[in-house]
Amino acid sequence: MKKSKNSKIAEKKRIELLELLKNRGLEIYDDLEKSKFPKFSIPSRSVSNIVYDKKLRQYILGNSTAIRSAGNMSQLRAFTQLVWLAFFANQLLSEQKTSTLRDIYYSSQAFEVDFEDQPESDNIIVDLEAVLARAREDFQIFPEERSSIFGDLTIEYTVPGYEGKRSNLSDHPDGYLIGPSLNTAEFVDTSAELVIAIEKGGLFTRFVEEKVDKKFKAIIVDTAGQAPRSTRYILRRLHIELGLPVVILTDGDVYGEHIAMVIKSGSANAAHLRELTVPDAKWIGVWATDIEKYKLPTIPMTESDIKRIYELQKDPRYQHGNWKKQLEVFLKIKRKAELEAFSKYGLTNITDKYLPQKLELAKSL
Amino acid sequence: MIEETFHQISPSEFFYRNRDLAGFSNPTRSLYTAVRELVENSLDACDQKGILPDVHLSIKALDSEQPDPKQYVLTVSDNGPGIDPKYVPLAFGTVLYGSKFGLKQSRGMFGLGATMAILYGQITTNKPVTVKSNVDGKTQEEFVLLLDIQKNKPIIQKHTKKDHLKRGLSISIVLEGDYSKAGSKIREYVYQTHLITPYASIKFDGPRKAEDDHQSYLKIIRKMPPPPTIIKPHPYGIDVETLRRMIADTHYQIPTVDNKMIAKVRKELGLQKKNLDVKGILDRAQRRWKNLSRPVRIVIALISFLQMEFDSLSKIRIDDIDVDNKKLTFWDFGESITRTIEMNPSSFYYKQLANTVQGETLTSFLAKRFQRVGLTTAIKFAEFAKLKPEKRIGSLTNEDLVKLTDSLQKFDQFLSPDPGCLAPLGEEPLGRGIMKKFNPEFAAVIQRGASAYSGFPFIIEMGIAYGGNIHSSGIEIYRFANRIPLLYDEGSDVVIKVVNEMDWPRYKVKGDVPLAIFSHICSTRIPYKTVGKENVADRLEIERELRLALQFLARKLSIHMSKRGKVEMAKKRANLYSKYIPLLARFSTKLAGKKKEPDCRQMIKVSEGIEEV
Ligand SMILES: Nc1ncnc2c1ncn2[C@@H]1O[C@H](COP(=O)(O)OP(=O)(O)OP(=O)(O)O)[C@@H](O)[C@H]1O
Ligand SMILES: [Mg+2]
Repeated sequence: MKKSKNSKIAEKKRIELLELLKNRGLEIYDDLEKSKFPKFSIPSRSVSNIVYDKKLRQYILGNSTAIRSAGNMSQLRAFTQLVWLAFFANQLLSEQKTSTLRDIYYSSQAFEVDFEDQPESDNIIVDLEAVLARAREDFQIFPEERSSIFGDLTIEYTVPGYEGKRSNLSDHPDGYLIGPSLNTAEFVDTSAELVIAIEKGGLFTRFVEEKVDKKFKAIIVDTAGQAPRSTRYILRRLHIELGLPVVILTDGDVYGEHIAMVIKSGSANAAHLRELTVPDAKWIGVWATDIEKYKLPTIPMTESDIKRIYELQKDPRYQHGNWKKQLEVFLKIKRKAELEAFSKYGLTNITDKYLPQKLELAKSL
Repeated sequence: MIEETFHQISPSEFFYRNRDLAGFSNPTRSLYTAVRELVENSLDACDQKGILPDVHLSIKALDSEQPDPKQYVLTVSDNGPGIDPKYVPLAFGTVLYGSKFGLKQSRGMFGLGATMAILYGQITTNKPVTVKSNVDGKTQEEFVLLLDIQKNKPIIQKHTKKDHLKRGLSISIVLEGDYSKAGSKIREYVYQTHLITPYASIKFDGPRKAEDDHQSYLKIIRKMPPPPTIIKPHPYGIDVETLRRMIADTHYQIPTVDNKMIAKVRKELGLQKKNLDVKGILDRAQRRWKNLSRPVRIVIALISFLQMEFDSLSKIRIDDIDVDNKKLTFWDFGESITRTIEMNPSSFYYKQLANTVQGETLTSFLAKRFQRVGLTTAIKFAEFAKLKPEKRIGSLTNEDLVKLTDSLQKFDQFLSPDPGCLAPLGEEPLGRGIMKKFNPEFAAVIQRGASAYSGFPFIIEMGIAYGGNIHSSGIEIYRFANRIPLLYDEGSDVVIKVVNEMDWPRYKVKGDVPLAIFSHICSTRIPYKTVGKENVADRLEIERELRLALQFLARKLSIHMSKRGKVEMAKKRANLYSKYIPLLARFSTKLAGKKKEPDCRQMIKVSEGIEEV
């Protein structure tokens, strides 16, 4: 039984962020009082400013910044939108309410800040993340996509109305949705020794049915394809706060390999954020080499699969080791296999045979 | 081989064969074309005599109860020079009778406009045309004419005279037309004619009561452009047929040996009172040869061959002098027979005759009959064309003619055609017309220097206007040629082509903007595609000049557009700031946890004035 070392961490973060927002507000207020055009400096998110940091083992933004100024006519609207968002986030945080990306778009309409569409408001949200160096989840904004989690983990909610209430994530066989309340909950207790992230909902259900959580003392997380940021955030917390190793199981194709890579070391899209990666996570399969080894039924790769391989071969993280090798094998065989392919040898083949072998192998990775 | 038969066609046949080309294809178009032809004749006549035109156009339904198409009385009166009563029946009663075949700028070109309109009227209504002409400001002569379609001859039904003080011509025809369809084009035509002829007053009375059917357009300016002058043709652009005709009328005509001529011969020989025999006459002529005029020398030569003294000479008529075959043919009045005699080629007189009949030398012909050709140039040219400079033009064979025509086009040392004969409208009057029509926010005009296409000089005038009461659905194009508005057949016109091919975005013209373009082509010969005179063919040189003019104007427009852009920008800026700064104040006040919002009025005011940072 481990107790969360970081209790009250969420509350502390909230107070800090409120302070940060207030300071930004003050700066603008003072400028306006002096009839000066307020401005923000925002780390540039252009491709040329995204660099791979070997020490952090993730993509980060370089040093170049862009000034967004109210004095520039073409930036005035975006600047106002950014300040509005800060104002709105401040409100969410103080009232401890959450919001979705879509909510933000509609909420904005009451304030006449003229977002043309949701992609535009989404983009301003990313700007605010960059300005504050905080993930949007920190200021209570969550995407709609949700993935699930299952396993023996007791949590204590911090969201208003549920403060102090506890749940165990193995109580419900469909798993728990990874949403705002889970993200802000404190981890109380767990017997798990491992986290298994799996790309597909179908396999997640199979793993619950096959009691993989018990057999392998694992918390199972469904990433539902490319893992949403809230999921990556939970994975990171499980690893850092509870010290659990994370392994990742994906389809045997180039996209699967990259899903694992993003969980491990982030995506270029979120290069402005630092708290979303699990640098020690391990991709255990399905590897290109497994296709041959386990005689899996395969399907041919498409044009775009192959194009994607060439793209990833330029990424610095794919320049060595197993990552590099698997890409090369994929390119050589030009075929891919899904996780379900193991069903050819019986529905439980994947949990009975493949998983134990791979977990054993992972220890040496 | 099938033998072809040739026969002359009657005017009505001519009309039917050419009605489409000439713009008389249906009652709508015909009414419009008839209006045009008559109004243009009036303006031409005034231009030529330097008279500020007052033209009255009236269209009345014979029976207004009837539905269109129906019979209309079309009357056009002017204050021009009128037509000498002698020529009225000819001018309006025969096809291809016109006074404008010389090379000069005029609206009419073919000598059939008015006659076609009259023919069309007569064919559709069987009613005569009424022409009232007053040439001296004292008497007006009125003709009522029908055309004898078989004989291509006018039949005068009535001819009266009365005292009348106003000079000018009035012509009135009855024709089948469709005003309900043609009306808008006719009104537009009158209006545009007024724009391009700002020194004319035009009064229009249509068949309807509506206000737009009763318009008086007064002169915008009172200064006439100088009247166009007739010029000699330029060598470029001359064709074999024209050249043949020119040579034919330069030929020294065989003199008519009438009493008047005989008197002249007697006088030059000093034989007014005295009769001599043939030998006596020839001797006397030899002694005075140097002082004899050319016609007299020819008569002497004839006397030498005919062996006739003055008396006998007055009883014959010379019919033909065939130099090549050395034959002289004459008609004997006394005996009423044709006689032919041989001429002795070795005789001194034969040479004299041959010279005269065969015409002047090539070089002197070129120098006299063409513009931009002097004797020196003519000699250089002859060398270039591999023709003898002293070659007699009367002795040119068909091959020679073709060679000559050809070389005239190819010789590159002729100066370009003389544009002095052209009468463009001028930048100022054009600009005034544009301002009056559109009251635009921006306008510019240009008159290009003279240029030439195949021997015909031309000048392009162009104007551009933006804003005002111009509609913004595509560029409006107003085309004029020799002061005629061109309203039909836009599709195939060279001006439209040039406008459409412009790279407008380059000149800051994007999307549908309120833009109008005026184009006026002046030339001694507008290259119309049809005799209907509605669209101009795309000659390379004309296209190029149009393009240069348009580019010049578009550059001016683009300067205006960027200025305008700046003003709009400032406006937009002001709007933006007065909207967003208060919002910023509100949000930051909340964020900062303050109660009182900062006062931003000053900021908003300042930001309206500043340039982009
Ligand atoms: N209003 C008028 N006043 C004086 N002369 C006129 C008038 N109208 C016509 N004429 C004379 O009658 C002639 C014949 O006119 P018509 O319209 O048939 O031919 P055009 O104008 O020479 O050529 P086009 O066929 O191109 O119109 C003219 O050339 C002109 O000499
Ligand atoms: Mg005419």
